[in-house]
Amino acid sequence: MTPDISPTEARLALGTVEHRRQQVVDEIDMPRWYWWGLAVAWVALGVVVDLGNPVATTIVTLAFGAVHAAVAQRVLSGRHRTRGVSVRAELANRHIPALVIGYVLALGALTTALGFLAAADGAAHPTTMAGVVAGLALALGGPDLMAWARRRGAGGDA
Amino acid sequence: MTAPRFDELIHPSTRLSIVALLAAADWSDFSFVRDRLDLSDSALSKQLSTLEGAGYVAVDRPLVGRRRRVRARLTATGRAAFEGHVAALRAVIESADPTAADEGPTGRGEAADAAPMR
Repeated sequence: MTPDISPTEARLALGTVEHRRQQVVDEIDMPRWYWWGLAVAWVALGVVVDLGNPVATTIVTLAFGAVHAAVAQRVLSGRHRTRGVSVRAELANRHIPALVIGYVLALGALTTALGFLAAADGAAHPTTMAGVVAGLALALGGPDLMAWARRRGAGGDA
Repeated sequence: MTAPRFDELIHPSTRLSIVALLAAADWSDFSFVRDRLDLSDSALSKQLSTLEGAGYVAVDRPLVGRRRRVRARLTATGRAAFEGHVAALRAVIESADPTAADEGPTGRGEAADAAPMR
């Protein structure tokens, strides 16, 4: 069937389709609580390491890893920022999980390096200090990282 | 490639907006659609009922936490109808301007030049 509409009207309709699609793409993100939760846990881990109790450090590190694995499983795709919408998988940049994990691992390496540097400099609480720096990078840089991933293209390759 | 099939039920701008929004999501909360389209509860309910009656949309009421949510999603029939409709819109443009390039599954390139309808 040939539709009885003009090309201008068809363009407007496609404009509507794209606008609505973009509104859903704009929802691709990690929940804010993920970044802040991770930042707080990171600093807490630094504090525990500075206490110098190997058993406590091991227990808290394992708990941190387990909780993060459980939480990340749901939110790492970036498709469930809120409870309001589940973005289709093909619209989310498929490299988002790798990007987030890479960022977290890089901050882990940064924390270790800063911790050693601060310890060499005679700081009283080197891992806590390093943890605060990494925590700020998580809480403030995480949302920017996701915005960058969105700009790199929905459904595209990062 | 989806066969062009103009859909009179989807084409009105409010319903096109609803279907386009749902097409980009696995499911969407009633409130999310209402707020993005700036519709009243009753206006959205009416449009969803029409789409549900045609078999294009399914409305679920899952219990999330202690609250019952109203969620809408496109059915396979609705998604096929939407894709056919988008293909038909693109065909209209291409028939008027045969040099119009194919710029993606939803005609993003064409669409980006056009202001959205309400």
